[in-house]
Amino acid sequence: MSLRLRLRGLWNKGFTGLSVLAVVLLGAALLIVLAPMLYRGFQAVVFVETVEFRKMAFWELGRGDEQTLQAEIAAVQAAREPVYALLDRFSRGIDVERQIGQARELYRRYGEKLRAEQTPREEYTDKRARAKELRDALTDAYEAQDAVTAKEHLQAVLSRADEPWVRDTMLREYVEMARDYGEVIATIDLGRRQEYAQALDEVKAALRKLLGPRPREEVPALAEDRYGATRWDLAQRDLKRLLYDEQWLQEQPGQPLVRKWVPRTAPSQFGGTALEPLFGVVETHLEEMLRPRWRFYWQYFIDGSTPGHFFGGVGPEVLGTLLLTLCAMLFAVPLGIVSAGYLVECGGDHRMVRIIRTCINTLAGVPSIVFGLFGLAFFVLIVGRPCVLAASLTLGLLVLPVIIRASEEAIRAVPETYKEASLALGAGRFRTFVRVILPAALPGILTGIILSVSRAAGETAPILFTGAVFYGDVPRSLFGQTPALSYGSYGIATGDRIGMEMPHQQYGMVMTLILLVLLLNLAAIAIRHRVQKRLRG
Amino acid sequence: MKAVCAMTQAPNNQNSSNFSAVPRSSAAPASRRPQAPPDPQGGTSNGASAGTERPIVQAEVFSLYYGSKAGVKDITMDIYPRAVTAIIGPSGCGKSTFLRSINRMNDLIPHTHAEGLLRVDGVNVYDRHVNLVNLRQQVGMVFQKPNPFAKSIYDNIAYGPRLQGIRRRSRLDEIVEECLRAAALWAEVKDNLKGSALALSGGQQQRLCIARTLATRPNILLMDEPCSALDPLATAKIEDLIGELKAAYTIVIVTHNMQQAARVSDRTAFFCLGELVEYGSTAQVFTNPRCKDTEDYITGRFG
Repeated sequence: MSLRLRLRGLWNKGFTGLSVLAVVLLGAALLIVLAPMLYRGFQAVVFVETVEFRKMAFWELGRGDEQTLQAEIAAVQAAREPVYALLDRFSRGIDVERQIGQARELYRRYGEKLRAEQTPREEYTDKRARAKELRDALTDAYEAQDAVTAKEHLQAVLSRADEPWVRDTMLREYVEMARDYGEVIATIDLGRRQEYAQALDEVKAALRKLLGPRPREEVPALAEDRYGATRWDLAQRDLKRLLYDEQWLQEQPGQPLVRKWVPRTAPSQFGGTALEPLFGVVETHLEEMLRPRWRFYWQYFIDGSTPGHFFGGVGPEVLGTLLLTLCAMLFAVPLGIVSAGYLVECGGDHRMVRIIRTCINTLAGVPSIVFGLFGLAFFVLIVGRPCVLAASLTLGLLVLPVIIRASEEAIRAVPETYKEASLALGAGRFRTFVRVILPAALPGILTGIILSVSRAAGETAPILFTGAVFYGDVPRSLFGQTPALSYGSYGIATGDRIGMEMPHQQYGMVMTLILLVLLLNLAAIAIRHRVQKRLRG
Repeated sequence: MKAVCAMTQAPNNQNSSNFSAVPRSSAAPASRRPQAPPDPQGGTSNGASAGTERPIVQAEVFSLYYGSKAGVKDITMDIYPRAVTAIIGPSGCGKSTFLRSINRMNDLIPHTHAEGLLRVDGVNVYDRHVNLVNLRQQVGMVFQKPNPFAKSIYDNIAYGPRLQGIRRRSRLDEIVEECLRAAALWAEVKDNLKGSALALSGGQQQRLCIARTLATRPNILLMDEPCSALDPLATAKIEDLIGELKAAYTIVIVTHNMQQAARVSDRTAFFCLGELVEYGSTAQVFTNPRCKDTEDYITGRFG
């Protein structure tokens, strides 16, 4: 007998242990699923910003102090100047087309100037001829394919350097150009000039990505090109792209391509050229050029974003999601409760009611994309265009079965005695339902609403065709389209390159969605708790 | 059991004239707004003197069927105002069915129908034209289990008056206090009127339910085993309350507890298998039952 008792005790303990284990496992699973998302998402809010971020915040979002920013930009520019100087010197040797263009331009300007000074005709012709001579020599030097020829032509220019008609006029620029070019070609192989030009373009692009466009350069049309690396982690990545050339090589025939990072300072790249010091300078002085600083960017949740979500936050998305969810609930909750009330109180147990109930259960299992297409084919058609109204009606329809089922259960769970008591006091059925049964069923109904709020906020498919946009502002009316967190995440994930270029934006948006749903749930649970407390006393 | 005892009607000969009496008032019962309960001392409140009054509920060969099965069959009995009438009998004998017929709560059960006459204040309650709302406000009911709404104590009591269209705050306050006092609950809850009714104890809840029923100003109180879910102390309180209330209200109480029937009632009806076996003053039924079945049941030999 005591053995049996002990055995039963063991059983009990075993089951208790198992259930505790199950709870712990579920908690751990939730943590494992959510933790990486939240961790990566938080990097959109807490990160090391650079001066480029501060520039962006000022120009795009109007945030920050202009004077401090200008001072900082000036300091940063001073740190960057040597890099640009190196780059310019080297490109003079490589970018001959442009140099030739400059030489021609100079010649034209010289002519204009002579005309403006109303130089006598003979003198004019003479000066023009001499200038042309210089220009042609320089052009020949640029166009020369080997160093020896180039140097001969350069010598022709340099030998005139001290003559007054060169030294004292604007033509001395030709001499400077020749001198620069001479220095450059001393270090490079003219035969590889084409190769250098290509690699130089890559370096320029990488440098622009890292530091942004150069001052006094034309402002790029796309906002994404207007700023360099806004975050230190992006700066590190862009620095690597600057310092190394990414190459895909096949080591042996039949083998897959392997990625190789070839340093730009390698002899096959810019090793031994005038550009070589640039990479070292950038690497060692990057902090002065970008001025990293920790930042808690809480405005991420309220800021709008530049087109394509390159910079900025998810404010419109948050508001749009809330708007869609709210409208969907306004549509679905009253309808759901009324339907549930009908099914429980008035429906009885007819064949018709059973059919309706089966239909509702089936509706709850229909894939959301089907709802999305229905919304496109029905609501959008009726309203005339995709809009918040159509989207939230579609969402409402999606969560309606959940609400009906939860409300039905909750109403059914209200003790029959409540109804009896109310009827015995002379209340009609409608009043009994509204005044007694509904308040008592409210906690259960709220549970259904909590579930459906989470679902409505997170669904992408129903709003895909019916009123969501990837980029935009919160609409002013129900007939506008709205951005939404779920659709935004989908857009970034399937879009071309934001997900790769700005991974934090994607994770940040997903984290916001998780937090928003969590917050909505907490709010609903708090409301339910209060209602329950009021009912239970 | 088929043999129905001779004394199924009012024990007093004088009452036979009341049997077919025309309604005291030509108006529908529900349209009557009963005045405030009369002075407790002034009422006639014992079985012996009850016979002098006209019956307020009259059943004439009344039967109620669940589908084809009879819940109660051929009941003929009169219930007198300002007295406590107890209905006793074994389980399933139709006590509650009869009680719930009086305010037509049986309508909630599908497929029921009634035969015969059941008059409240002279109006047949199973008439098609009877206004259920008015009937139920006049014939209040207290249930077996305390069933306060999940609302505050105040709202529980104000529920009935609000249904009647009373909205004025001061009037509602008055009614709430009056009913709580009448149900002997005022002293215990007066500081917590906004508290949830579900936080009260079982006995308090039952008294609250009685107070809530009183708030609609009924003439008749139906009590369906009001103490079966309560402990002896709470039961004693409810019984005291019944004793006080009978001065102003007609009370019909169904009970399984024969001591309780003996303690609180003026008249007792014994039901068995859906039929009324014996009906008379409590003293007579308990001390000198006319039927063998009644005696067996009371003495505990059967049932």
